[in-house]
Amino acid sequence: MEDQHDVDQSGVKEKKQDQQAADKSSGIKTRSDVMRAGKKRRPLLEGQPIYSMWLRELIRFFRMKTRTASALVSPFTWMILFGLPLSKLFPGGNFFEGLPFFAFVVPGILGMGLLFSGTNSGVTVLWDKEFGFLKEVMVAPVRRTSLMIGRSLGAMTIAMFQGLISIAIALFFGIWFGFHIVSVSGLLLALGFMVATFWTFVGFGLTLGALIEGTEGFMALVSMIEMPLFFLSGSMFPINVVKGIPVLYQIQFVNPLTYGIDGIRGSLTGVYLISPFLDFAVISGCALFFLFLGTYAFTKMEVG
Amino acid sequence: MEAAIETDGLTKKFGDFTAVDDVRFTVKEGEIFGFLGPNGAGKSTTIKMLTTLLYPTSGSAKICGYDVVKERDQVRSSIGIVFQDRSSDWWLTGRENLDFHARMYKLGGQERKKRIEEVIALLDLKGKENVKLYDLPEGVRRRFEVARGFITSPEVVFLDEPTIGFDIKARMDLWEEIKNAREIEGVTVSLTTHYIEEADYLCDRVAIIDQGKIIAIDTPAKLKEAVGTNLISVVIANQKEKGPEFVSKVKQLEWVKGVEEYGKEILLDVERGEGRVAELVSFSEKNGFVIVSVDEREPNLEDVFVQLTGRTIREAEGASKDMQMRRNMRRAGAR
Repeated sequence: MEDQHDVDQSGVKEKKQDQQAADKSSGIKTRSDVMRAGKKRRPLLEGQPIYSMWLRELIRFFRMKTRTASALVSPFTWMILFGLPLSKLFPGGNFFEGLPFFAFVVPGILGMGLLFSGTNSGVTVLWDKEFGFLKEVMVAPVRRTSLMIGRSLGAMTIAMFQGLISIAIALFFGIWFGFHIVSVSGLLLALGFMVATFWTFVGFGLTLGALIEGTEGFMALVSMIEMPLFFLSGSMFPINVVKGIPVLYQIQFVNPLTYGIDGIRGSLTGVYLISPFLDFAVISGCALFFLFLGTYAFTKMEVG
Repeated sequence: MEAAIETDGLTKKFGDFTAVDDVRFTVKEGEIFGFLGPNGAGKSTTIKMLTTLLYPTSGSAKICGYDVVKERDQVRSSIGIVFQDRSSDWWLTGRENLDFHARMYKLGGQERKKRIEEVIALLDLKGKENVKLYDLPEGVRRRFEVARGFITSPEVVFLDEPTIGFDIKARMDLWEEIKNAREIEGVTVSLTTHYIEEADYLCDRVAIIDQGKIIAIDTPAKLKEAVGTNLISVVIANQKEKGPEFVSKVKQLEWVKGVEEYGKEILLDVERGEGRVAELVSFSEKNGFVIVSVDEREPNLEDVFVQLTGRTIREAEGASKDMQMRRNMRRAGAR
């Protein structure tokens, strides 16, 4: 970072001299040359602003005690209050392809968390605008992309932290309810799928937020879109359960979350319904596509 | 010497409405320059154009020689801005907000730490920097925002209504700190305000702006001198009965330019000169009025505004004259 400044600075100084020669009346001072230099040619990824946005997100998360508490409690709620009772409904060790119900539903719960937190993070990038915070940042000579990336990285850190807690809880109850991870590399691969799933929905949320003006009833609209995505993704029931119902069955295959959850489930338990390669190709492709779309919408947006 | 701010025919239209109309002024380096005018006069729009947040419809403006349209990045790196409405994160402490802002401007490690300490000292915020803004009073939060405006060592700092909603103590404290900051940092300060005291006390020069046009630019002292009249407020005994008679008689004095009755008080607009109060007292004795109190004061920037536009700043904002008179009285009383 520091080196970059020096390099840029020398470049700018030369340019400035040309400019001065051309326009004698403009005596340019040297006081904030260092700062100016950083802006002349902005690097694609700006370390400091990204780090700063990331840090802010984490500080806010840990300082808002209710948010911290809810983030810690909600994995327990879903794993214990949803996963365990329903396991009793589907007794026996084989709910789906040799997986007991609990082992089947754990990846679904993980995917659900990523869907909600990702979309939410994308949408709320725009909400800083309401508090004037974005305005302050918008006058700083910083790329909007950096702001978005930094903030989303912060949200991702929190989501992954939540995901890991969920996995830990699941492993503990898995002793009695039949969930275990096949291998360490499987766990790492699952984390990769989780990251890709998260970014897909960050981009999705950003796009939604930029397309739809105003905040009135906006959250209701978002959840109206989120819920079908959540149910038709193989999160709570296997995708082939609805094979006989025409539209529902097909929707599952255009839903990126289906591939994300299949990837997470497969890498954790070894049971894929689609295929690891297709899962990976689709979900990482979607992540890139939506991020690109969302970033584009975000940078074009007016901030008054 | 180069001008810190220079505008030429700066104009901003929103549809048919001209918010800023052919504005032309120059701010010298190191000056504290104020825009005084009612809400909606075009102050904030002017500042937004100067800080690259809005594009001018026509005309041009330069900050430290950089064009606000063609050289936005350079302009942005040369300025600090304190917005009118809240623009900090209240969940973060003052120091964290400053650190966040400094990183946004890519201030490196040592430099950043040094500047954070400097601006904390500059705005007298020592001991409050590690408390989250939620838990601090509004005045202190505002001071952190002002401190943030200075952190990147800008050449020009823009303050949009810096003390809006402050009590008088907090306001005067911030004025001192802004003056002090200008001395230490040698920075040019440009501010908008609709508080006449603020423009009078804080600014080296004031541009009075109304309906998008600058109607006068000068030092507060010279602007006030140009008014040419002083204000005398008189309270007479038994005013209910004697009041109207007093008004009609006092009007005939050649040095009285205007008379207005307000509540218990009678306000006289008088030509400036020696011994006006004494003359008024002897006039009253001659005509059988008993003066309870009398007070003469020099014109303030409000009177300048009234003379130039025919209305008070409050009136221009649409509030009742009643409130304006109350304010006048309070001000006169405070002297």
